[in-house]
This record gives sequence, structure tokens and C-alpha cells, in this order.
Amino acid sequence: MQKKWAIAGALQGLLLLGMPAAGRAQGSGLSGYMELHYNKVEPQDAILDFHRFVLLMSHSFSPRIRFVGELEVEHAIVEGLEDKGELELEQAYLDFLLTRSFNLRAGMMLVPVGIINERHEPPVFNGVERPFVDTVIIPTTWFEAGVGAHGEIGNGLRYRILATAPLDAAEFNAAEGIREGQQHGAEANVRNFAATGRVEYLGIAHLTMGASFWAGDSSFSVRGVDSAVKVAEADARYHRGPLELRGEFAHVSISDADRLNAALQRQIGVSPNVASAMRGFYGEAAYRIWNAGAPRDLVTFVRYENFDTQYRMPEGFVPLKLYDRDAWIVGATYFPEPDIAVKVDYVRLANQSGITKPSNGFNVGLGWWF
Amino acid sequence: MKTSWRWLLVCVTVLLTMLHGSAVQERRVVRISAERFSFTPSRIALAVGEQVDLVVTSDDTAHGLRIEGTDVDLTIPKRGPGEIRVTVSFDKAGRYEFACSRMCGAGHNYMRGEIIVREPAAQ
Repeated sequence: MQKKWAIAGALQGLLLLGMPAAGRAQGSGLSGYMELHYNKVEPQDAILDFHRFVLLMSHSFSPRIRFVGELEVEHAIVEGLEDKGELELEQAYLDFLLTRSFNLRAGMMLVPVGIINERHEPPVFNGVERPFVDTVIIPTTWFEAGVGAHGEIGNGLRYRILATAPLDAAEFNAAEGIREGQQHGAEANVRNFAATGRVEYLGIAHLTMGASFWAGDSSFSVRGVDSAVKVAEADARYHRGPLELRGEFAHVSISDADRLNAALQRQIGVSPNVASAMRGFYGEAAYRIWNAGAPRDLVTFVRYENFDTQYRMPEGFVPLKLYDRDAWIVGATYFPEPDIAVKVDYVRLANQSGITKPSNGFNVGLGWWF
Repeated sequence: MKTSWRWLLVCVTVLLTMLHGSAVQERRVVRISAERFSFTPSRIALAVGEQVDLVVTSDDTAHGLRIEGTDVDLTIPKRGPGEIRVTVSFDKAGRYEFACSRMCGAGHNYMRGEIIVREPAAQ
């Protein structure tokens, strides 16, 4: 019976797609966010970096057909290669909103893995920079071209599932894992499609639980190698009154990593030392110590992260201990206005290497959403 | 005679109390919390003809609340003491979607919910 309702609802949605826009639902909008950072990594000189300038464009062709676009300039200036900055088309998709439980999406989309990749507006997370796990294990901002579906079932069970272009294993490396393997929808090779998805449950008051996956054959540009990449992730957020807790666990596995390393060594002359597994997790506790509403609004937080881009190595390869890292981050976020975040934090980094020690850092950030 | 007056006074008092009680009988209030990118609760059940006050607050930025099949399209103020209060009632049974109508971030289009309106017997 429920299936009949769902099919009838989807059909009704398809019919409604063609209807003319109704009143206020039609129109265009411009919004965005920006992040200015001061970073002081010991013992280097401090830098001042306009890290992100992001514009979001939206347009409703009708109440049920919507466009969303996101254009980002990273590090203020785009000049030749990536040493200076990047101009990225992170989102440009059409949403066909059929029913609450089933909708279609196509275009350039955020990959729905982890807490931060889809929720990265500066007032939404603590810390000047995004968590390390959401940078080197889950390569935020992770975006790719493709098609997919999303919806919400019942009281708070959400899903999204996408088919996108896969990662390119030829770009994997020891320090940043799969990060550089993104094709970003730029003439992306789709000999094989990757599948990715996420489920979230919001049905328990104050709690959001999520789990994500990504799976795809990523060795299309390396002959004689069959490297399938799988990403599994789980996270939870609890927010009640002044207290917010969040945690995330992510695991990446790469099959045939030994042959991938050998093939890449033949191509570039040195082995990239790509791991067969990478792992990261973090836990964060935040407390709103001044909770009288902006501008009397101050949050303090502490986060512990553990991340290793050489968690498991293929046979014959030795893990480099400097990539087995952990970090303590303590800091505060002050909200003079709910959409403006003034952030400060101190990062204490460590690794398991007895030779190379990472540098600690002090950061100040100003971020806003409009 | 004096007793009759007393009885009359008691009856009038009881009657007025009953009338007053029914007049101020409060509508059901449903409190909704909005934050990037969800409404909590996201599913609300009503009876046909039932009037319900929706009281909506935001836990972060400004959001919108548009309810399908109604004229409701309001801005939910940013986190703080502000709230919106709107009375809704539906004459027909069915599902009425509500959604955020103000761009609030990358997951804006996920921010939807539904009001399920049933015949009173089906509640």
C-alpha cells in the first residue's frame, strides 16, 4: 500500500514539474560565504590568507525545479598552476523535486561523505581550518559531476545516492591520500562510474547520526592495475542547549596498491607509496559559555583527531610513521552576529616518527555567511 | 428567598466559567526547530479542520518556511530570541510539504518536511 502511495506521489511530482512557477517560489538568489585566515605555523613566518571567497547562486525555474551553483576562489588569486590559488566550480546542479521521499539531481554536486563536505559554511564548524580528517582522509571539498537521487522517509530518515565520475588513482600520494585524485568534472574519465551515498537519521531529538560510502574503480589511467577505492564513514552530532558533541570515523581502502605503486614508479620515477588503507577519526566537544544571543555569543571547543594516510601498506611497503598523525585543537568561536564567526585556535600536532616532528600552529579566522 | 439567590449566583458563576474555559481553550502548539539543513520535527500530523499554532525558531542562520497549499511563506529569524508563529488549518486530508524558502547553504534543498492531514476518525 505504501509503495502505491510512493509511486503515485512520484507520478504526481513528475506532473507538477511541468507546471508554471507559483508566486514567490520563482526567482533567483545570491548568497555565499568568505573566510579570512591568519596562520602562524612554528617556526615559519605568519601568513594572512583570504582562504575562500564563495558565491552561491540559486534559481527556481518552478517550485519543483531548482538550480544551485557554487563558485569558489581559494587563496584570493588564480595564477597559472595551483601554487597561488584555485577557481573551482564546486556545485552546479539541477534539482527535480518530485516528492519528499524521492527527488532527482544532476550536475556538479558535493559528494555526500562526512560531516563537513556538505556543511562547511564558516559559522557551522569550530576551528579556523576544517578538521584534518575531513581534509586528508575525506578530501573536502569533494565535488564531482554525476546524477543521483535524494529524499527523506518518515520522520527523519534521509538518503542521498549518486553516480559520479571516479577518482584517478594516478594522483594518489602518501601525505594526502586520495585527495588529489578528484577529477572535478573536468573532462572526467567515466569508463567506470563511482557510487556514493549517505543515510542520516534525525528522528531522535538533538541527535543526528550519519553513515556514508564511496566506491569506484579508480585505475583507469594506470595500465595493468585494478585499484578499487572504497570509503566508509560514520558520524554523529549531538546538540542540546549550550553543549555540542560531534564525532566522525572514516576508513579508505585501495585494492591492488602494490601494483599501483609499481606502475606509478615506472611512470614518474619514484614510488608514491600509496597505502592500501587510510583511517581517521575525531571527537569534538563544544560548549556555548556565553549564551545570551549575538553579540553575547561565545563557544569554546576542544577536538582530538587521529589520522593516518599509511594505516595499512601493501606487502613489501613500509609505512612512514610521519603520516601517522594526531592533533589536539583548542579554541573559541565568537559570534557578533549569528552569520559572522570570529575564530581562534591552537593546534598541537604530533606523529609517530622519531625523526620528523610536525609544527604546531596558532590560527585566527574571520568567516561570514550572507 | 436568600437561598434561591445564592443558587442562582452559583449557577451563573459555573456557566460563565464553562463559557470562559471553552473560549480560551488553547490551540495545539507545535514547536519546530530549524537549522542547516533540517526541520525538527520534519513530520507533523493534524486532523482535518484542526487549527494548530506552528512556532518556529532557528538555531543558526535565517531560514524560510513555505507551506504548500497555503499562503504561508515566512522568514524565520536568525538564532536568538526571535520566532515566527503561524496558525494553520487544512480543509482536506492529504500531505502538505513545507520547505525552507531562503537559501541557507549547500544543503538547502534537503530542508523539507511534511504535514499529514487526516480525517478525524483516521487519527
